[in-house]
Amino acid sequence: MALPFSGRKDGLSLSEALPDRSLFILVAMMSFLAALTLTGATGARALSARWSGGAAQLLTIQVTAPDHVPDGAGSTKNATQKTRADLVVDALAALPPGTQVHRLNKEELAHLLAPWLGDANNSALPLPAVIEVRLPAGTDSPPTLEQTLNAQVPGTVVEHNAEWSSRLRALADSLLACAALALAAVGGIAALITALATRSGLSSRRDIIRILHGLGATDSYIAGRFASRTGALAFGGGLLGTVLAMAPLALLFRMAAPFAATSLQTATAAMPSWDTLPRLLPTDLLIGLAGLPVVAAFIGWFTTQVMVRLWLRGMP
Amino acid sequence: MIRLKNVFWQRARKQEKPVLSDLSFSVPQGGFRWLLGPSGAGKTSLLNLLHIESLPARGDLEILGKPVSADTPRATLVRLRQRIGMVHQNYRLMPGLSVVDNVALPLRLQHRPEDEIHDEVHAILKWVGLGERIGVPAANLSGGEQQRTAIARAIVHRPGLILADEPTNALEEPQAHKLLDLFDELSTMGTTVLVATHNEALIRRLPRPSLYLERGRLVREGE
Repeated sequence: MALPFSGRKDGLSLSEALPDRSLFILVAMMSFLAALTLTGATGARALSARWSGGAAQLLTIQVTAPDHVPDGAGSTKNATQKTRADLVVDALAALPPGTQVHRLNKEELAHLLAPWLGDANNSALPLPAVIEVRLPAGTDSPPTLEQTLNAQVPGTVVEHNAEWSSRLRALADSLLACAALALAAVGGIAALITALATRSGLSSRRDIIRILHGLGATDSYIAGRFASRTGALAFGGGLLGTVLAMAPLALLFRMAAPFAATSLQTATAAMPSWDTLPRLLPTDLLIGLAGLPVVAAFIGWFTTQVMVRLWLRGMP
Repeated sequence: MIRLKNVFWQRARKQEKPVLSDLSFSVPQGGFRWLLGPSGAGKTSLLNLLHIESLPARGDLEILGKPVSADTPRATLVRLRQRIGMVHQNYRLMPGLSVVDNVALPLRLQHRPEDEIHDEVHAILKWVGLGERIGVPAANLSGGEQQRTAIARAIVHRPGLILADEPTNALEEPQAHKLLDLFDELSTMGTTVLVATHNEALIRRLPRPSLYLERGRLVREGE
């Protein structure tokens, strides 16, 4: 007659000692918060990188009455007369080598101003020329650039991104630090919740553990059984929390997409369509979100290992 | 073998009066000893100490040839416990597990192959008369059946030391005699056996050296 062996049975009945619902739901909530925080951190890091990189090297120059030809501009024979905008572009050639100068064309300008003016092509308002200047990395614009340009083309306005980019970068770095602290706090709370659940499970299984200990069960075995259970619960909770967080994250990203343009040429006020959204999500964020359940499982597993082993130290 | 030299044990460190005081005796490998004494003499405490459920407060303790103290590595203590078979007075079975899973536990904790566990457990359950009750949860067993399950669990892994606390108090006389004969046979095969009992009929049936405790002290030792 065959004995009815049925897998590993040691009497711990951890499904009863560590009930699914409480730990699972709490870890799901923690993971939801962590996913949102992670997204904030990713956004802050991206902004910090942008403002410390390309954006700081960007100048925006506005030339009013761009198509007006000043008196005495250009040569007097066999040459095209130069407009105010052309003169500014010519003057910008004196900037360091590698500088990219681009005057926004009518379509780009209309696209940029659409949120304020609607169809700017049909606007009766006189529009300035907008020239985007991207300096090479490590170079600064001459401090007298605006004066120099104004001497040639009065009324030219130069906006130096570098002036406010350092403040914005500091703000983004602060946000990043806050996000890191929030993530650490969420992890700490998750560890605390797991520790409390484990302690409760240990209390309810005190006698069973003593029997197993007396029969020669190692600390690794007992801690491993508890840790596998909490690790699995935390993984499930982490997965649920992350999946639930995807809906608000997608919404946020869709709303934030217009502000993520890297230059005036690509700036748009329109929100991307839902089907193109997954392609817009940063890869590092997706990797971070995918790793959340694993991190939750590790926190649960590790915390339980420590708790159970410390508890077992009370027995020889 | 077991060796105690001036061993003291107390429940809590701050407790003034030790439960076991100045115990010194030894039992050679393959030795059989009755552990006698009135209730509260410290028999169960001594057996629990020898099962390494706690450590001596003072004195030298040696179990199966290994010194046991606070300095002994945990891995050594675990290996020693795996070589001890203990029958507790209250059986200490896993109530939610079947008879077969209870008895298989010591072998499974030693990671023995399942087919070996199958054979060993089947044989021992048949021997204790529980061959037809293998799938019954321990919580549904009678007192005698629980005791037989506990005995089967204590000997299934062929321990080097058997400690039994009133192992026959829920057994019918024939079963008690059968169990005693088994313990005696195991001791002749090299297993050290220590049995705490109040049953004088058993002692008369199997006259072996005894250790007599009173108020935690060893007051008599011998035949």
